[in-house]
Amino acid sequence: MKKRFLAILLTVGMVLTACSGGGSETAQTPSGGGQEGQEQQQEQAAGPTELIVGAEQDPVGFDPHKVPAASSVRIYSLIYDSLTKLDKDLNVIPGLAESWKVSEDGKTIQFNLRKGVKFHNGREMTAEDVKYSFERILNPDTGSIAKSYFSSVDTIEVPDPYTVVFKLKNPDSAFLANSSSAYASIVPKEVSDLNKEAVGTGPFMMETFESGQYVRLKKNPDYFIEGQPGVDAIKFQIMKDEAERLAALRAGKVDIASVSADFAKLLGETKGVTVKSYQSMEYSYLGINVNKKPFDDPRVRQAISYAVDRNAIIQVVWKGEASLTGPVAPAQTAWALDVSSYPSYQTNIEKAKQLLAEAGYPNGFETVIETASTYPDMVETAQMLQQQLQAIGIKAKINQLEWGNYIETWKSKDMTLLVGRNTSGIDPDRSLRFFFHTNGSANVWNYSNPQYDQLVEKALEATDQQERKKLYDEAQKMLVEDAPNLFLASPKNFYAVNEKVEGFEPTAAGEVYALVQTSKKN
Amino acid sequence: MGQYILKRLVSLIPIIVGISILVFTILHLVPGDPASIMLGTNATPEAIQALRESMGLDKPLITQYLNWAGGLLVGDFGQSVHTGEPILPEILKRFTITLQLTLLATLIGWGIAIPIGILSAVKVHSPLDVIVRIIAMLGISVPNFAIGTLLLLGLSLYFGWFPPIDVVHFWDDPVEALKVYILPAVTMGIVLAAGIMRMTRSAFLETLDKDFIRTARAKGNNEWKVVIGHALRNSAIPVITLAGLQIGYLLGGSVIVEHLFSIPGLGQYILDGIYQRDYPVVQGGVLFVALVFVLINLLVDIIYTWVDPRIKY
Repeated sequence: MKKRFLAILLTVGMVLTACSGGGSETAQTPSGGGQEGQEQQQEQAAGPTELIVGAEQDPVGFDPHKVPAASSVRIYSLIYDSLTKLDKDLNVIPGLAESWKVSEDGKTIQFNLRKGVKFHNGREMTAEDVKYSFERILNPDTGSIAKSYFSSVDTIEVPDPYTVVFKLKNPDSAFLANSSSAYASIVPKEVSDLNKEAVGTGPFMMETFESGQYVRLKKNPDYFIEGQPGVDAIKFQIMKDEAERLAALRAGKVDIASVSADFAKLLGETKGVTVKSYQSMEYSYLGINVNKKPFDDPRVRQAISYAVDRNAIIQVVWKGEASLTGPVAPAQTAWALDVSSYPSYQTNIEKAKQLLAEAGYPNGFETVIETASTYPDMVETAQMLQQQLQAIGIKAKINQLEWGNYIETWKSKDMTLLVGRNTSGIDPDRSLRFFFHTNGSANVWNYSNPQYDQLVEKALEATDQQERKKLYDEAQKMLVEDAPNLFLASPKNFYAVNEKVEGFEPTAAGEVYALVQTSKKN
Repeated sequence: MGQYILKRLVSLIPIIVGISILVFTILHLVPGDPASIMLGTNATPEAIQALRESMGLDKPLITQYLNWAGGLLVGDFGQSVHTGEPILPEILKRFTITLQLTLLATLIGWGIAIPIGILSAVKVHSPLDVIVRIIAMLGISVPNFAIGTLLLLGLSLYFGWFPPIDVVHFWDDPVEALKVYILPAVTMGIVLAAGIMRMTRSAFLETLDKDFIRTARAKGNNEWKVVIGHALRNSAIPVITLAGLQIGYLLGGSVIVEHLFSIPGLGQYILDGIYQRDYPVVQGGVLFVALVFVLINLLVDIIYTWVDPRIKY
């Protein structure tokens, strides 16, 4: 009897052991075989690291040739690479192209591609993909924002799988800088809808997109730059309210978030959070429709320039965290002219009144300043201008527009005065030709000055950097003197960063270059 | 009764047609255009034109309306012009989130309001009643974004606590979901409670003056039996009416609270659609909300007959 009991007990015990053994085996298999498991082994005991970035807006698609929204760019620029890229000092350095050669006459550019770079689907990236990507950008049906960057391209040739040759209609000294743009990402030719399927060569791969909640990217283990990226995953957590981002940073639920100057001050004393800033490429401006009376008279525009106190705007609107700027933002140290070379930047009410009287408006006039209600800094800038212009008898009414309406007004070329913000491009050609050439796509101010046009055209074709610099210096002075826009202030941007994060050093070169070098302690 | 419900459901058809025309027209009257909003102030005119064409916005308005309305007939709400994603699944996904938030907020609101409202009516003009009325007045007057911001910043600053950042459903993980929804639900619940409390109090005051209450008391019932057994059901109609309106309103998505707490609900979806002039998203979203509102009101009418059998349709 006892023996029988023991036998049963043993049998039951064995069965149980077998079952539990089998159970744990099946539980291990999926994680061991999956990507995450492999990463875990590489990371050994530390476990995978995930960087959480607080994002202000939902992305609106991931096709780099079609979607220019900042909320999308910050994500797809981690998924894709371009031919070149910028280092933190805004120098052009190799990206997918290992090296390049510009011909003597400046009309042929040959890129030698890096070998063995793979798209996230496993296929090798070749010169055919580069050709396909640029042809897609240049195709008017794509509606790409980058088409205007590459209007000089005549033909694209592929002599071998690792060489691409661009034949240009005219020398284009902005080409190399423009080829670093995320809008000029190299995409695989076999993917037809890039909004549905994001396949690049970049440091991160798309994992999940939960609209209204988050976008999660995981590390590309085969990324061609050794040691990058520094984290196993990045999650962009969508938090539209700044108060919420602030609370999340304090509680350590978010590692990195961009914050306003006001909040940066508030966070300055918070334990575990550091604030990093950099001089941005953006500047705020007062746009003037030069076709509308009385602004068709350059003396009126100059009078406004003398009446405006730019330093006061910097102190009040940007809490001192901004720099004076010309048409090229000061972050572009190689090209931006020192503002001391602009006489009309001195506030001089007497001179302003005198200019206004010469133009036939000794008692001033009434006018309208339009701006976007969406951005408090724009509204505050408009209010400052309203006050300052009163000193010379100009009574301005402020008209705040909802964003969609604002864009319509901007586009209409029929505004009077408009307060806004621009991003000074990577190359001065963008800041000067695109925005102010008679045929410039973003010249909504009806500004047309043949002398200026000639200067920026010549500068684009100049292959000698010294000569280019001279031409752009002259163009900047001419533009400030003519004042189709008043360039007001170039703000600093702020990031709040958790102490667990290492190596995140944001610069004007863009968030992506800071993020790939970032690592995180668990 | 069955006939009544059927009649109400049939009357939905003209309502939906009317709303669809109204929303479509108003939306297209608003200045702004999805293509230029998407491309921003760096866009070239030809890029905007190409995008407008691919969004189908170059077609005449009447064609656009008929295309959209035709799709609705077969249950196709269309796609977002920005992302190309189908709209109905997204609406349903976000509605389930809004629904959970609404139910929890209602639960909190009623849990506070109804007992206090009754107590305040029974002890009318007592110090308790005065305090309750002042608090209710505050609840109505203080905007919910102020309450929400205070909760969020206060908790993170003094306790280092912040709700989980990913939305979880109650049926997946009730504890985690409660952590996600509790702050926004309390924020909304406080505002709800104020209204319901005042309504409960005045409805009870009226009922407690009635003859049958005097009779009930004369029979020697104790006061609580009178209040709960006799007055409660007789005071319920106005409270239910208000609650129905509130729930219908909340199911449309409480935009401010959703924005503040990053709850990806229906209100947030429609608001984003408005900012980006994503016409099909706004049209579909508003239509869906209207439908829900009408159905909730129907439900309230049905509940009336159960609460008060004298009501017949």
